[in-house]
Amino acid sequence: MPRIVVDAMGGDFAPDEMVRAVARASLDSEIQMILVGNAEQIQSLLETGEYNPEQISVRHSGSAIGMSEDPRSALRAKKDASIRVAARMVAAGEADAMVSAGNTGACVLAAAKHWRLLPGIRRAALASVFPRQTEYEGQDQLGLLLDVGATTRCEPLELAQFGVMGSAYAQCVSKVASPRVALLNMGAEENKGGDVLVSAHQLLREIPSIEFIGNVEGHDVATGRADVIVTEGLLGNVVLKLLEGVAEVASGLATHAALDNWRWRFGMAMLSSGIERVRTLADFETYGGAPVLGFEHLCIKAHGRSRAGAVGNAIKVSAKAVRDGLISDVAGKIAGIT
Amino acid sequence: MSDVPSWPVPVEERAVTYRWDLDKTYLRTEFESLRKMVRIPFEAGADKVHLPGVPELVRALRRHAEDDKERPYVFFLSASPPQIGDAIREKLAIDEVAYEGITFKDQLGHLVRGRWGSLREQVGYKLGELLAARAAGPAAAVEYLFGDDWESDPLIYSLYADVLAGHVDLETLDRVLARVEVGKTASRRILGLADVLCGSAPDAVAQVYINLERRTPPSRFRAYGRRLVPTFNTLQAAASLYELGRLGLEDVMEVARSLLGASGEAGYRLRNSIDDLTRRGHLGLTTRDRIVRRLAREGLAPLAPNETALRARLRAALAQLKRTAPRPRHASADYESVVAALGAAE
Repeated sequence: MPRIVVDAMGGDFAPDEMVRAVARASLDSEIQMILVGNAEQIQSLLETGEYNPEQISVRHSGSAIGMSEDPRSALRAKKDASIRVAARMVAAGEADAMVSAGNTGACVLAAAKHWRLLPGIRRAALASVFPRQTEYEGQDQLGLLLDVGATTRCEPLELAQFGVMGSAYAQCVSKVASPRVALLNMGAEENKGGDVLVSAHQLLREIPSIEFIGNVEGHDVATGRADVIVTEGLLGNVVLKLLEGVAEVASGLATHAALDNWRWRFGMAMLSSGIERVRTLADFETYGGAPVLGFEHLCIKAHGRSRAGAVGNAIKVSAKAVRDGLISDVAGKIAGIT
Repeated sequence: MSDVPSWPVPVEERAVTYRWDLDKTYLRTEFESLRKMVRIPFEAGADKVHLPGVPELVRALRRHAEDDKERPYVFFLSASPPQIGDAIREKLAIDEVAYEGITFKDQLGHLVRGRWGSLREQVGYKLGELLAARAAGPAAAVEYLFGDDWESDPLIYSLYADVLAGHVDLETLDRVLARVEVGKTASRRILGLADVLCGSAPDAVAQVYINLERRTPPSRFRAYGRRLVPTFNTLQAAASLYELGRLGLEDVMEVARSLLGASGEAGYRLRNSIDDLTRRGHLGLTTRDRIVRRLAREGLAPLAPNETALRARLRAALAQLKRTAPRPRHASADYESVVAALGAAE
C-alpha cells in the first residue's frame, strides 16, 4: 500500500484542512499516511473528527514555512520545517510520495535539496492541470501544462524531457493511452520561436514514446488539441496566471452584469446549472494537485487554498501514481531518449 | 432476564469482574438496516461474527487473573432479547469463552405489557442491571467495563462507576435519569439500588473501554474523564489492560496476531494503533515501547524507521498533553452537561 507523507502545516488552511483530508482518506481508502507537523496540534485536530488511526502516523516537526516567506531563505533557516521533514522522509524511504499545499517554491526546493533527479534528467518541472475543451472521446477534461515555475529558461533537451515526463504522468493519472504532447510557441510552424524552440521541436518529434503533435499557440491551450503542453517555466507561469485571471474576470463581469440588469440576472439563472458544471470543472478542489516531475520521488503540489477535498484528491492521485509506477515509467522513457 | 449464578463469593477472595456488552462490542452485529435486523433472530451461533481479537482478549483476561490468584468473573449484558440466547451461548462456546453469566433484555415482556418506551430504552435497563449485579456480587471486586459508541454505554458505565464511587448523589442521578427519559419504574429501581451502593466502592470501576465502532471522534468522550478509554480496535484495549497489569505482554501479542490473521492487516497498522493510543494520553511511553519492540521482535509490526527520534517526540508530546489538558483519573463527569450535550447532538 502506498505510503504518502502529507505536509500538515502547508497551505492557507493548514493544519485543519490537511488533517481533515488525511482523516477522511483514512476512512475511505487503504492509503498509509504520515502527517508531518506540530504533533500536538495534529492529534487534537484528529480527535475532533472521525478517523482510522491504523492508517495514520504522525511525525513531529518544529516549524513550518509560511505561504509568503521567501522559500530559499526560509528553507535555509528552518531545518525542521514540515516540508523539509516530509522530503527527508521520502528520501530515506519512509514514504513513497509527498503531498503539500504549502509554499510552492519551498516545496520544489525541498524536493531539490533532498531528492536526486532521475538519471538523465537535467531539470525538474512543476506541472499544473487546467480545464479545457475535449476533442475526442475519453479525453481528460483537464490538460497538463509544464513547466509552470520550477525553471525560468530552458534548453531544448530539457523541454523534450518535460514532454516525456508530462506524457507519462497524463498516461498514468488520466489513463489516456497516448496523450497528445505539444510545444507552446508563437506559431504552428516548426521553424517558429527561435533556436531553443526549433531545436526542442525537433527533439520532441524524434521521441518514439510520445505522441508529439507539434506546436500549439496560446489560443490552443484551452482547446483539447493537446493533452500535455510543454513550455519553459517563465512562459508557463504567465499562461497559468493568465488563465486564472481571465476566469476570475469573466466570473466577476457576469456577476456584476447580473446585479445591474434583470435580463442578465434571468439569463444567469437559466444558465446556472451549466455554470456550476463549468465551475466544478475549473475548480482545483476536484483535481487536487499537480506533480513536480523529474525527481526520483513524486511530489504532488496542491493549490495553496486547498480544502480537505482537494488535499484528499491530491493524496489519492499520488497514491495512484505510486501504485502505477509512474516514476519508474518516467525513468524508463527518459533512459530511452538520452 | 439473567442467567447470572447466585452469589456470594467468599469475601476474602480477590476478584475481578469484566462486564461486556455483546452487540458491536463482542459481536459484529449489523442492525443498520431492517433487512439485517430481521436476520439476527434466525442466526445460529456459527453464523455470528465476533470483532477481531475480542475472544482472545476475554480468554486472556481470565487466564491472567487466574495466574494472578484472582477470581475472574466475566459477564455479558445485552439489550437483545433472551430468544437469541441459545445462539449467543453457542457462539461463546465456539469461541471457547468461559463466562459467569449473560443478561438479556426481556423485550417480549415489555411488548406484552405494552411498555413501548422500554423496548428501545437503554440507560434505565443497563444501569439497573449493572447495579443489581453489583449488589449481588463481591463487594471488593474491581471491574472493567466494555461497551461501544452505538448507544449509551459511555454514559451508563460512567454513571455506574460514579454511583459506586459516591461521586454522583441521588438527586443528580434522579435528574439525569429524567433528562434521558428513563421510565418511572426503572428509575425507582435504580435509585433504590443506588441508595444502597452509593459510595460503597470508590475505586470499583478501574477502566471503561468504548469500542469506536461508529468512529465517533474520541474528543466527544473527554467529558467522561480518563477512566473512559475510547478504542479503535481490540489491540488498543489490550495495550491499556497490559499497562494496568491485567494482561501479560504475550497476551497482547496474541490479540495482535488475531488482528493480523482476521483482516490480513499490515503490521504498520498495529504500530499506528499503539502510537495513536499513546498520543491520546491513554498509554504510557514505557508501555508503548515494550509493546512496539515486542511486536517487532515477533515479526508482527515493523519498528518505525526512526524509532529513537519518534520516541523522543512522543515523550515531548505527552509532556505537553499533561501540561495543557490535565485530566484527573477519577474525577466525576458533569452529567447534566453531558446529557445536555447528548440532547443537543440528537
